[in-house]
Amino acid sequence: MTARSMHETNRVSSAGRALTPSRWSRIWSRNSAGYLFLLPWFLGFFGLTLGPMVSSLFLSFTDFDLLTAANWVGLSNYERIFTNDPKFAASMRVTLFFVVFSVPLKLAFALGVALLLNRGMKGLGLYRAVFYLPSLLGASVAIAVLWRQLFAGDGVVNDALALVGIQGPAWISNPNYSLWTLVVLSIWQFGSPMIIFLAGLRQIPQDMYEAASLDGAGKWRQFWKITLPLLTPVVFFNFIIQTIEGFKSFTPAFIISGGTGNPINSTLFYTLYLYQEAFSFFRMGYASALAWILLAIVGFFTAFSFLTSKYWVHYDD
Amino acid sequence: MTIRLDRRKFLMGSTALAAAAGIGIGPAMSQETRMRLLFWGGQARADRTYGVTDLYTSANPGVTFDGEFLAFTDYWPKLATQTAGGNSPDVIQMDYRYIVEYANRNAIAPLDEFVGNELNLDDFDADQLEGGKVGGKLYGISLGANSVALMVNQTAFDEAGMDIPNRDYSYADLPALAEEWNSKNKRPGMKFWSDYSGGEPGLDNWLRQRGKPLYTADGQLGFEAQDITDWFQMWADLRAAGVLVSPEDQALDATDAIENTMITLAKAPVTYANSNQLIAFQAVNPDTLTMINYPRAEPGSGGGHYRKPSMFFSLGAGSQHLAEGAKFIDFFIRDPEAGKILGVERGIPCSKAQREAIAPTLDPQSRIALDFVSNLGDLLGPLPPSPPAAAGEVGVAFKTKSQEVAFGQQSPQDAGPAFVQQATEILSRAAS
Repeated sequence: MTARSMHETNRVSSAGRALTPSRWSRIWSRNSAGYLFLLPWFLGFFGLTLGPMVSSLFLSFTDFDLLTAANWVGLSNYERIFTNDPKFAASMRVTLFFVVFSVPLKLAFALGVALLLNRGMKGLGLYRAVFYLPSLLGASVAIAVLWRQLFAGDGVVNDALALVGIQGPAWISNPNYSLWTLVVLSIWQFGSPMIIFLAGLRQIPQDMYEAASLDGAGKWRQFWKITLPLLTPVVFFNFIIQTIEGFKSFTPAFIISGGTGNPINSTLFYTLYLYQEAFSFFRMGYASALAWILLAIVGFFTAFSFLTSKYWVHYDD
Repeated sequence: MTIRLDRRKFLMGSTALAAAAGIGIGPAMSQETRMRLLFWGGQARADRTYGVTDLYTSANPGVTFDGEFLAFTDYWPKLATQTAGGNSPDVIQMDYRYIVEYANRNAIAPLDEFVGNELNLDDFDADQLEGGKVGGKLYGISLGANSVALMVNQTAFDEAGMDIPNRDYSYADLPALAEEWNSKNKRPGMKFWSDYSGGEPGLDNWLRQRGKPLYTADGQLGFEAQDITDWFQMWADLRAAGVLVSPEDQALDATDAIENTMITLAKAPVTYANSNQLIAFQAVNPDTLTMINYPRAEPGSGGGHYRKPSMFFSLGAGSQHLAEGAKFIDFFIRDPEAGKILGVERGIPCSKAQREAIAPTLDPQSRIALDFVSNLGDLLGPLPPSPPAAAGEVGVAFKTKSQEVAFGQQSPQDAGPAFVQQATEILSRAAS
């Protein structure tokens, strides 16, 4: 789409005039190439995203079980979720715990590494790539399987602890620790927020630091008074993205608990519970309702973050 | 010709097929009877199954099979999705736990009209035939009888110079046996017994010896809170006596996958399983394995075990080839050559003629499985009614509850009533 046609399209719709057929055809004739190129995306969006979403919204008001036709049950799925579903509450607790601990720790870790890398060392490109690698592998099954091996009772982690005389527990199969192994796994995948932090750090003007050090501000003070405030837009962006990712997290818990969320539902992530309802117990209608509630919760957290952002995010313009 | 599909081949195959269709040389399918066969199991089962389909297609030109196999837990979502999409396979491997659900929803076809024609069941075991009936109609043909059984590491017992418990041992004997084991055992870190307090088949076996079923014929709980408290208390006592693997180790076995069982992880010389699984367990265990019965609930009590149809073949209700499917099942369960290929990997064949044909060809371990199921004697009780639709969910809840007790979050006294309440809710939700 050229800049000119975009401008004209905007003008047309902002004028609020009805789009008559001839107007449509004019838009089409001007932009047909653009729409043609967009066609694969449209197909994907309508066929694979919007379509399933609409049908999932419909199914959330039914008792669809895959094998028999769906019956309309009104709000009863939602009613049960909020009033009479201990597993919903349990999985929500697990997920919130995961988000509350993994997101800030991951961001802190990512920022720490980004600060180190920003000091202009040799071979920066290599380090950046190496640190980013876990994020690429992040949600894969292989990494979750590897994690399971590392943290098993007789895994590498406990072998390492044994060297310093500590007898470690069976991390993944002890309900007191199993969720923490998933938090650690998530922190380890700090690569993509780190890259974004690094880019943000590069944009902070050097003369501010020079001025600050002339005024006698130490490194620590420079970090709190210059780096962090100027980085808040990037922190905000990373925070939103990672929070959404945290709520959506599924694969590691699925692999590490064998899809059960055990021991004692300690790794029963919300998405895992949703999956169980849908594909273990075939309550597709109920699972659809759970999915929409998750969307609402994520939407709420995101909106809340945006509302509070004006108190702590500083845009320099 | 049999077409085998795993995921990768499916991708390649469907691409090739699309390409072929694109240039107008689609395979000539019109005059062929093309049947889709879906089953769960591992490579060993797939090799045997495809051996039989190859045998069948060479004797019946014009018939081809598209076979596909998955792990048990992946199998049910797949089958349900295909059924929902009106795309169910022609021949479906079916489980005792699901057959009622699929039959009641008319997702599988009744087979009665084929009996005596395509399907000859004259020498078929009566109890196994009965197990495939729902509401008086025949929906599944048992592919083999099996029973619950303990897998036992013979080598570890031999090294310790200790006898494997005989068929009359009970749970009350375990502490003394464990003491002997702990003094003689040569394997570091190996405890005497798996913690099966969360294993529903173990509970079922134990309850039956108390004269109670897990589920009644109308799909209600057959036991009371006190039974569950007693069960958890018994395991708590065994735990306190140092008989069992730690709860943490036991929790590694989250899904009963053979690779994560206590015997395969070398945490204990025994694991609770099924008689037809000896072949699969042996395949991943370096030590020699054998099998024995589950412990008796009390000295002298019996009737806990039963000859369960390990799995069925059913026909998809929407299949275009019902008669051909029935003919294939008949071949599968009766043909002697087919029987020799299949062995006892799906359980003991239910047709007398096929059973006798394969007996001389069995390897020692298949022989153990055959003898075990044939010689249960007083351990054997009647086949219980097929479980209600929500039984799987109850089983999941039971395992989680057992972990709460094992990790000390709930006492057996509280866990009994709590579990009964939970299970009742699950059953009533499924029924509504």
